Amino acid sequence: MKAINGKPFLRGIRLRGNKARSEDEPICPLPPPARVAIPLFGHAGAPAQAIVRVGQSVHRGELIALAKGTISANVHASVAGTVSAIETRTDGTGVTGEYIVIERTEGDDAFLPPLSHPSPEEIALRVREAGIVGMGGAGFPTAVKLTPPAPVDTLILNGAECEPYLTCDDRLMRERTQDIVRGGEYLAKALGASNLLIAIEKNKPQAIAQFEGTPLRVVKLKKRYPMGSEKHLIYCCTGRKVPAGKLPADAGVVVQNVATALAVKEAVELGKPLIERVVTLSGGGMDAPCNLLCPIGTPLSTLLERAGGQTERAVKLLLGGPMTGKALTGSDAVVTKTTSGVLLLTARETDVSSPTPCINCGKCAEVCPMRLMPMQIEFYTAAKEYSHAERYGGVTNCIECGACSYICPARRPLAQAIKTAKSELRRAKQ
Amino acid sequence: MKLTISAAPHLRTRRTTRHIMLDVLLSLLPATAAGIVYFGWEAAVTIALSLAGAFLTEFLWVLLANCVWRAPKETLRTFARQFDGTSLVTGLLLALCLPASAAHWYMPLLGSVFAVGAVKMLFGGTGKNIVNPAIAGRIFLFLSFAAMTVYPAPAFGAIGNVPGIVTGATQLQGMLAGGPLPSSLDLFLGTGVAGCIGETCKLALLAGAIYLCARGAIKWYLPLLAVACEGLFAVALEGFDFSYFLPSVLSGGLLLGFLFMATDYVTTPKSRLGNLIYFAALGLLTAGLRKATGYEVVSFCILLMNFTVFLIDMALPVRPFGGKAKRRGRAREDRS
Repeated sequence: MKAINGKPFLRGIRLRGNKARSEDEPICPLPPPARVAIPLFGHAGAPAQAIVRVGQSVHRGELIALAKGTISANVHASVAGTVSAIETRTDGTGVTGEYIVIERTEGDDAFLPPLSHPSPEEIALRVREAGIVGMGGAGFPTAVKLTPPAPVDTLILNGAECEPYLTCDDRLMRERTQDIVRGGEYLAKALGASNLLIAIEKNKPQAIAQFEGTPLRVVKLKKRYPMGSEKHLIYCCTGRKVPAGKLPADAGVVVQNVATALAVKEAVELGKPLIERVVTLSGGGMDAPCNLLCPIGTPLSTLLERAGGQTERAVKLLLGGPMTGKALTGSDAVVTKTTSGVLLLTARETDVSSPTPCINCGKCAEVCPMRLMPMQIEFYTAAKEYSHAERYGGVTNCIECGACSYICPARRPLAQAIKTAKSELRRAKQ
Repeated sequence: MKLTISAAPHLRTRRTTRHIMLDVLLSLLPATAAGIVYFGWEAAVTIALSLAGAFLTEFLWVLLANCVWRAPKETLRTFARQFDGTSLVTGLLLALCLPASAAHWYMPLLGSVFAVGAVKMLFGGTGKNIVNPAIAGRIFLFLSFAAMTVYPAPAFGAIGNVPGIVTGATQLQGMLAGGPLPSSLDLFLGTGVAGCIGETCKLALLAGAIYLCARGAIKWYLPLLAVACEGLFAVALEGFDFSYFLPSVLSGGLLLGFLFMATDYVTTPKSRLGNLIYFAALGLLTAGLRKATGYEVVSFCILLMNFTVFLIDMALPVRPFGGKAKRRGRAREDRS
């Protein structure tokens, strides 16, 4: 279907895309590593519970940890092999959690039975069984989103990919167009949504052209950060505003990442659980930027080796995009279900200077896509007056896009202060 | 391998406070040049003294506050790191709103030391001052020296055929007292118009302001709103005689004040709505006070409005995207 233009959205920031490094690199499957460490907490909500023992041999795709509660996700073995350890580790981002370590041996796949002409309930069940979570970054269990509290008429596939450097969704949209369409159709069927849209930023003309040949309605979006934010994507595609503190379903919309749609298609038609994902390796510190299809649990060191990562040249190693990703102390982390990129940034690309006094220029409020007052939040957070931070800044509405910190001429750690205030307010409520 | 850890985002704009202040200094260059051309070496000396006073005050303050005698080298490095050019902006702005023949050579020096020392550094340095330092410095001098009310006219051009003569009353005062309206073109170019160093040539001021807007340092609609409000209210006060509009907005220090002093980030509200209210009120207040007092009151109006900034900021609600406005006000849980 012919592409239509999305509504413009006035706030936010213009960022240099820096996608040229890796956007023309086709997705390349990474040879399975000798050892994977699969995190049991690689999604939003409660960590999964291990159901394998040390020494047990597992097939690729076998269930190794069971979702605990509603907001959680199953975890499957991403390679065939032997469970060598179930251990608690602290990775380079400072997050502590449980991992199942598997030493790879030759073995068969053990996928779920493929479904043909599944009913909405069967699709939702399969999504839950396959441990599918939102692959854009938040990692919210997809099955939960398929049982919305309010009737939904529109499903938007999120192919905005507004984070600089990242090209994994762009490559997927170009190479797996038909699969993404099928996945979207399964999701729409499970939701009972009659409108199926795919939203793509204008800096990906090839992906837009590809989807124009499919039954999906393509919405071309202005290149602006954070266009991929759920609430802003919904506004730009449908003109509906999600009420503050409510879910997209309250506006009759559900948003799913394109990679999630692909995972759903594979889970339904092949019975394949979520055991691998595409990761973009880029940044000035990488000699050979690329897009790799990696098993979940692959150590970062393996990826860096593959992409020629020069850590001596870099000042920051990031898990995720440069605007919302986490900085690592070293390469002792693994690919999770939500890892969209691994970036090695040089001193020229990033900024490590220290903050100077706020000059009250108001640029943070000007760019805030949620129309909050970041400078006020930071001011009151520094004084530990979190209730004031909420009253004069509206901190709980923050989507943590980091536009305020980006634009700040005084280099204030605004986004960081907002996150602090949010978690303190949440703790006070409990 | 040395990897840095910090919270997201990891990209930052290249534009820092220093860049913004450099832009402000550049935007004031045309007005500075015009002032020196119009008023000669006396103007240049005044500007130099004011800049020196402002810079040295900040320099000495930082040195003393950091106990320079303990670690001289490190203190100098601290100064270099924190120096953002705001004191130079203050010094230059102050000089531009002084008369060229500052009767006593120490006047600009005293003014800039007061502006930077007492108004900025004493309150905590950059971003912490409650009122605009340059405005406060000007008013300090105005209240202290009779020489601040004697303005020379530029050495060329002719309004009232008094070229090069020091005049007590400016064209504005004459106009407010019911005298003849000066020519708008003369006011615009500043030819023969008595006034402060930087405020006579409106062409130079506008050129600088357009540069600032183009660089995104100030919002074009804010000073425009203030100027429009001032002009229209002045017209209304004169019984809707529209011939007053241009002379009113082009005379005195109005453009210098509205374009470069009222737009100072630190002493303006934080939100867009707050700024609209602030600038509209500034224009109305200026026109009203000018009419009521018969004097040039732009600097006093800006000072008065500076005190309202906190009130405006506290009174306006936050309106999150997709949400209802949250009323601000006193924190209720504090009382219980």
